[in-house]
Amino acid sequence: MNKILVEINNLSLIYKNKNILDDINFKIYEGDKIALIGTNGSGKSSLISVLNGTRKSINGEIKIFNKSITQLQNKQKINIGTIWQDLRLIDELSAEQNVNCGLLGRNNFLFAIKNLLNICSFEKAHKCMKLFLLNENLFDKNIEKLSGGEKQRIAIARSIIQEPNILFADEPFNNLDPKISIYIKDLLISRKNKFHIKIPNTQLISIHRLDLLRGFNKVMGIKNGRIIFILNTNQLKKYHLKKIY
Amino acid sequence: MNKVKLNSASISIIPILVFIPILIELSNNFHFGGKTLFFDFILSSLRPKIDIEIITTLFLRLNETIFIALLSWFLSISLGIVFGIFSSDIFYKFSKFPIFLKHSVTFFLTIFRSIHEIIWGLILLNLYGLDISMGIIAIAIPYTAINAKVIREQLENININNIKSISQISGNSFSSFLVIVWNPILKIIRNFGIYRFECALRSTAAIGLFGIGGIGTSIILSFQNLSFRELWTYLWGLAFIILATNRILKNLNIKDIHIKIKNFILIMLPIYFIFLIFIILKFFIKSNEVLFFLIKNILQIDYNFISNQLFQYTTETIFLSLLATGIAISLPPILLFIFNNQFMIVIYRSLSFLFRLIPPPILLLFLLMFNEPSISLAAVTLGLYNAGITFKLLNENIFKNKNYLALKTTGASERLSWFFGSFIEQSKVYLTYCSYRADIIFRETALVGVIGSIGLGWQLNESLSSFSWDEVSIIILVYSSIAIIGEIMNGKIKLILK
Repeated sequence: MNKILVEINNLSLIYKNKNILDDINFKIYEGDKIALIGTNGSGKSSLISVLNGTRKSINGEIKIFNKSITQLQNKQKINIGTIWQDLRLIDELSAEQNVNCGLLGRNNFLFAIKNLLNICSFEKAHKCMKLFLLNENLFDKNIEKLSGGEKQRIAIARSIIQEPNILFADEPFNNLDPKISIYIKDLLISRKNKFHIKIPNTQLISIHRLDLLRGFNKVMGIKNGRIIFILNTNQLKKYHLKKIY
Repeated sequence: MNKVKLNSASISIIPILVFIPILIELSNNFHFGGKTLFFDFILSSLRPKIDIEIITTLFLRLNETIFIALLSWFLSISLGIVFGIFSSDIFYKFSKFPIFLKHSVTFFLTIFRSIHEIIWGLILLNLYGLDISMGIIAIAIPYTAINAKVIREQLENININNIKSISQISGNSFSSFLVIVWNPILKIIRNFGIYRFECALRSTAAIGLFGIGGIGTSIILSFQNLSFRELWTYLWGLAFIILATNRILKNLNIKDIHIKIKNFILIMLPIYFIFLIFIILKFFIKSNEVLFFLIKNILQIDYNFISNQLFQYTTETIFLSLLATGIAISLPPILLFIFNNQFMIVIYRSLSFLFRLIPPPILLLFLLMFNEPSISLAAVTLGLYNAGITFKLLNENIFKNKNYLALKTTGASERLSWFFGSFIEQSKVYLTYCSYRADIIFRETALVGVIGSIGLGWQLNESLSSFSWDEVSIIILVYSSIAIIGEIMNGKIKLILK
């Protein structure tokens, strides 16, 4: 049996008298690749923001790396990567500087200053960007000048350069064309790449397109803030989908 | 290595390099001569003098301070509205007033704005003698010009088509104009005007140091007698007034002014202005000939003075202004970048309040306990005073936003998450405000120059004391010209930042 990385017991989140998440219980084991599916507003983003520790006013218990999420220190948080639905890139910085921001947790103050002034090494950032099919001419471009799809890949590269042990991704294939979506999804799932960049072995990725389900070993359905099912992907049937859509 | 690439965040912190020449000069001039006085000064802050005589003086001086500040503030707000309207393009688009009126008003406002209230105070003091009304006028002149500029900029954003459409309905273009400008003006009074009252209080305290009256006069007298306990009684009194008025004004809801009161104000305003202009004209024309003597002397230039000293003083003033601006811009974000935790933020907030509270000339006199007069010392004084203001702005307006949270989840430290997540996003706005602050810092060089034997401020005081009106005229002309050039340059920077 693989190691448990995430354990959630009786989790609920109430916002403005509305149950955003309701009595959630599940475990994520090392090596799990879970696709999180559900309609808009079903609670996917809320669940991810609770898991990465952003939303704090919750009831219940969340344990990550066998430790309560509230007690996680910065050196442990480094091992949690997030791809945000709204990307959260820094408009003032270039693409490569943004990717390097994923390294802020692992590096010292001097690195941050050098990154701000654009005088640090971008070797690793460039590898990550190439891995996600970003052209070299985009590396030093300001974020504001990039297209939606390019920004999306910058956000993915930023979370991968961090080299986390677990990845929470909120609709990471938005803004991407079908071919690139499949390429990136396969890359994340297989983790194999010519640059030998460490891609996390454990992933929870929310998706809308069901054609991207292939490769995930588990699928989690969520509706109105409640987990409706957690199955092995090959067990997923139409009636499961009817329950959530 | 890559080429250095600057963005608004790095531009905000790079000026910290001004500390290199400053610290070299300060360390060369350092001495322990004022060690005893320093400890006495610090300890006195914890045990200010409290007896009937001091409390009575404090009460009277605070009364004077509030009176001067309130009147100058009210004058500057009301006149600022009028001149703001007269200097705006929109006014001439609907009225039949000739456009040269706009250019004339703008020109004079620029001149009035370019000279610091302390210089106005010193001039008026020498022309008319010690009087509280000099303090009111000295503050009201540049404040009116600043308020007018802010109002004009706000009015320029109004869509002219709105006036046209309302004019078509009502037929009367003047009343349509009033309807359109009323809300933007109220908004400025609410957002900017109220903040100006705190500035007026601080200016009153600073101007009082030169004997015009108010709490500043008592502060400087206590400092000269080295009665630090008395000094701190006055400073804490001033702090109380600033905090109390801030709280009261913030709680005033100008939005809810009843429509009848608005109409009443609309009727009363023209009457008030006619009365005001009458008083001012009567005061100036009847009681002085020296003012005209001053203007006449602009033409009688002493070339010897220009060739010998003026260039040196001008250069000193520009350097002082650049160094102080560097400190004011970069110190707050750098400090928050290096030490960003609850404890340090409390320390910064307290220091920032103290630096805003203690008038720069007093701070400079205090620093002179350990150092010789120099450009660096004056720059540190002015820089710290203004850093107190920029810190307040930074601390109140930069929130922990989504990007901050995103970086926190990656395990980045609090300070790095704050800087990359929150500060970078706001850095353009911060720099825009700092470029406006740079204008003010240049004018404030007069404030420390007078005390610290530096630059044009010092020479102005000397020339005024010896009634060398020709020198005074030249210095004011130079001051004004540099301030205007600086303002034009900052205007361009603001445009780039937008």
